[in-house]
Amino acid sequence: MANRDLDWYLRQAARTRVNRRSFLAAAGLVGGGAALAACTGGATTAPTSAPGSDAPSVGPTTAPEVESEFFLYNWSDYVNPENIETFKAEFGVSNYVYDTFANNEELLAKLTGGASGYDVACPTAEFIPGMVEEGFIQKLDKSRIPNYAHIDPNLLSQSWDPNNEYHIPKDFGTTGILYRSKVVTEPLTSWREFYDLATGKYSQRVVMVDSLGDVLVMPLKMLGYSLNETDPAKLDEARALLMDLAPHILALDSDTYQDKLSTEEAVLCLGWTGPLLELRANPETEDTKYVVPSEGTLFWLDTWVMLADAPHPNASYAWLDFIHRPDIQALETEYNGYATPNVEAKPLVSQELLDDPAIFPPDDVMSNLEGADYLVTDDEGRLDLWADFKSALG
Amino acid sequence: MTAIAATARRQGGRDRSALLTGLLILPASIWYVFLLVAPLAIVVVMSFGEKARNGGYVPAFVLDNYARVLERPDPFLDSLRLATLGTILTMLVALPLAYFLATRAGRRKGLLVLLLVIPFWTSFLIRTYSWLIILGPRAVASFFQDLLGDERFRILGTDLAVLIGVTYGYLPLMVFPIYVTLERMDRTLVEASKDLGAGRWATFRQITLPIALPGLITGSILVFIPMMGEYVIPAILGYGQTFLIGNALVLDFLEARHWPAGAAKAVGLIAVMLITITAYLWFLNRGRQTRDVSVL
Amino acid sequence: MSAPAVPATVAGRVGRGRSRAGIDRFGSLVEGAFRTHAVLAYAFLYLPIVIVIVFAFNANRLATIWTEFSTDWFGVALGNSVVQAALRNSLIVAVANAVLATLFGTMAALGLQRVPKRLRIVFDALTYVSIIVPEIVIALATLVFFASVFDIVNPVLLDLQGGGTGAFKLSFGHATIVAAHVLFNTSLVLLLVRARLSGMDRTMVEASYDLFATPWRTFRQITFPQLLPAIVAGFLLAFTFSFDDYVITTFVSGPGSSTLPLYVFGQIKRGVSPETNAVAAMIFAFTIGVLLLGQVLLLWQARRSGRRGAADASLSGMIAEQR
Repeated sequence: MANRDLDWYLRQAARTRVNRRSFLAAAGLVGGGAALAACTGGATTAPTSAPGSDAPSVGPTTAPEVESEFFLYNWSDYVNPENIETFKAEFGVSNYVYDTFANNEELLAKLTGGASGYDVACPTAEFIPGMVEEGFIQKLDKSRIPNYAHIDPNLLSQSWDPNNEYHIPKDFGTTGILYRSKVVTEPLTSWREFYDLATGKYSQRVVMVDSLGDVLVMPLKMLGYSLNETDPAKLDEARALLMDLAPHILALDSDTYQDKLSTEEAVLCLGWTGPLLELRANPETEDTKYVVPSEGTLFWLDTWVMLADAPHPNASYAWLDFIHRPDIQALETEYNGYATPNVEAKPLVSQELLDDPAIFPPDDVMSNLEGADYLVTDDEGRLDLWADFKSALG
Repeated sequence: MTAIAATARRQGGRDRSALLTGLLILPASIWYVFLLVAPLAIVVVMSFGEKARNGGYVPAFVLDNYARVLERPDPFLDSLRLATLGTILTMLVALPLAYFLATRAGRRKGLLVLLLVIPFWTSFLIRTYSWLIILGPRAVASFFQDLLGDERFRILGTDLAVLIGVTYGYLPLMVFPIYVTLERMDRTLVEASKDLGAGRWATFRQITLPIALPGLITGSILVFIPMMGEYVIPAILGYGQTFLIGNALVLDFLEARHWPAGAAKAVGLIAVMLITITAYLWFLNRGRQTRDVSVL
Repeated sequence: MSAPAVPATVAGRVGRGRSRAGIDRFGSLVEGAFRTHAVLAYAFLYLPIVIVIVFAFNANRLATIWTEFSTDWFGVALGNSVVQAALRNSLIVAVANAVLATLFGTMAALGLQRVPKRLRIVFDALTYVSIIVPEIVIALATLVFFASVFDIVNPVLLDLQGGGTGAFKLSFGHATIVAAHVLFNTSLVLLLVRARLSGMDRTMVEASYDLFATPWRTFRQITFPQLLPAIVAGFLLAFTFSFDDYVITTFVSGPGSSTLPLYVFGQIKRGVSPETNAVAAMIFAFTIGVLLLGQVLLLWQARRSGRRGAADASLSGMIAEQR
């Protein structure tokens, strides 16, 4: 086992972001840092792990010992607790830490600021290129993840990871239209119809998720453009549509739109399928329907990635392989209600879920989906449009 | 002891007192230096930088970020409006309550003070979502809908809901400072005032209010300042209809990942607020003597 | 002070007798208004809590639709190890932070009385800045600061220990959260104690010195009892803010140090479930229970020792001014 010598640590330090070191040079805080170190005593023991993350680990034939700890950083309630227990028991991981973040932006900001300590995280796919460039995540040694072979090839080799080096798909879905069909009896199959109903008959009974990338899908697709559009002229057309829509919006709400739908405060919603199963299970709200608009919409993919300084690489690989065992995956799908990318797992999923077009979109719908482009997520033109739209709501 | 010996002892004490003073402010000073000044230095340095390709900061020296701060004044003005109205409303609710607790609550005083904070040990978000239910279409709002005969009447999503929410959330911050200043008010002063024939209002104005003033000032500052940065309550109870400074900062740091822009806005905000607070305090403390005698 | 001797009629007009009657006429009205306002204020404060508790018994996963009465969610919450860990972390952090912040803030408030004016102005400015700074800004800046410090210090530390496994190194966790919280809360306590200090009666302090008492003795017997309400209030507020903080905690926490607000905020993504309500309800029930138990115990003790005034020895009495 290689001893981590001072050189190694200096190289690690040199790899860190320029910005932080320049701060310290400017502020001259080295001495203060040492004092702080003495005061805070924020200590942990260094992880009991195998050699450094540069070296590819031993192949699957001589499996290295799995650490007794595993630190997961994930969306809330996104893994079947049964699976966690099974994993813990089978691999002897006594300390399984499941910390949560509220959205991708939080995860990114934390990593950008220099946070560390986690093993595996679960970002949405379009954020992967940035994370790779910044050195937040490491390449995956697929030889240590035999179950990777079960992943549907159609979902791989996308723009966010063309060579499939950094991620494993977790689950996927769409952004679409939710509505209360017992109130909204008009035909509703496209963004255009949604827009007309929202600005017309159901004005002030419309709620949309508070997400730039999802809301912009609507006007752009209505105009026949890509949802990753950044061309200023085209954005202006989208802007016109959105500004006309603004006064008719009841709320921008990513977290409780299902409550607004359930009380019929809102009857139209631009959102995700998350609350759908629950709403349909309730007799009062079982008329809720989900539509993938005909002009096309956003395809989202949540992924497993391994952080660059993961303290427990063996446990991480064990987890990544474990979670894609077909039977385990099927349990995930049942619990989360989102589509699995695992071909072998699909037959094990209940027929009800498989037949649900909201969860498992049929092939013709799938071909009409578009993934988000990373470079566009912080495009200034789009962000200005979004800020103006939000200001215009009141 | 002779007078000389007494004076000598006192003087010796004063030499040691510089050391004592230093020790007293040392812990807070350390914290301010490392956890306020240092991070803020980082923010200031960042504000002159440029956005890194993938978000964050790269060292540079440009003034663009500050130039853009003034581009959109609306978030600041909306925040100002919310904070002002919210502070006034909170004060209206808090002052009588604090007065009651300090002067009328008697032996139950401590218990009632504790009961004041206990609701805030449940999660902020859960409390706010409870207001969604209370003010929602199935409870209070529906009551008013029937009363006014207007089916589209709504509380949630309006300024009223937001004001109720922030008043609720910031109430202890206003009550506590007023309470702790009023609580030590010598009751005999009030009695004396009444004995001299002063009416209730005059007594309040000339005895109670001046004593409560430091608490009122502290309370209003402790409420107004954080309210300027508030954005979660307006997002939930106001249905995300307003775009405030807090929203703008979150947009910069999290969605746009343009840390320098956010940093510049923050520096601007801090500067403006600091000037405002200083002016506010100066105006109110004019003519009031601050005594330098130690209370140790 | 004796009242001047005046004829009854004049006195009536000047205001002694008549004003008294006038005051009394409004008196009970005003008193009643104060009491009503207080009752309404507490009702206002506790209304959401009632809702939280009621909906904890909602069998339906959707918070807005009441299906039927059920205690299942309490079982789920109790069995949820993530919640338990989060609660434990919240308590550790909040108590540590409250103790430190109260100590530092009180000390600073006392010390600031004696510093030269220029230094005090700087200190004041910093105090206000620490409250003015928006949470997301200080959260990210503190994160960057900590990360930078760790990057520099950890290699040195590990090298000193010969590298390898089992080494002590700095990382994000309870300490970083407490450190970040203590900043804001120290300022809070500082402002509260100073508000109390300003205009406090110095004559007793001076008298104490004149009687050759040491600074410590003067503090302990004169100043401290008078400051106690502000100190306790500061402690309570500091605890509350730390216990409920989300933004700063999100960014400076590390694996395994997630607090309750982080758990709740994450949960919201799946909609507020009655389980979260159950957790909140249990916390509330526990605190009220402890409070009631404390009161009952002290009353019982007072009755036993037969001293009427013993009830003042309770926490209530501590917060109330000592006579």
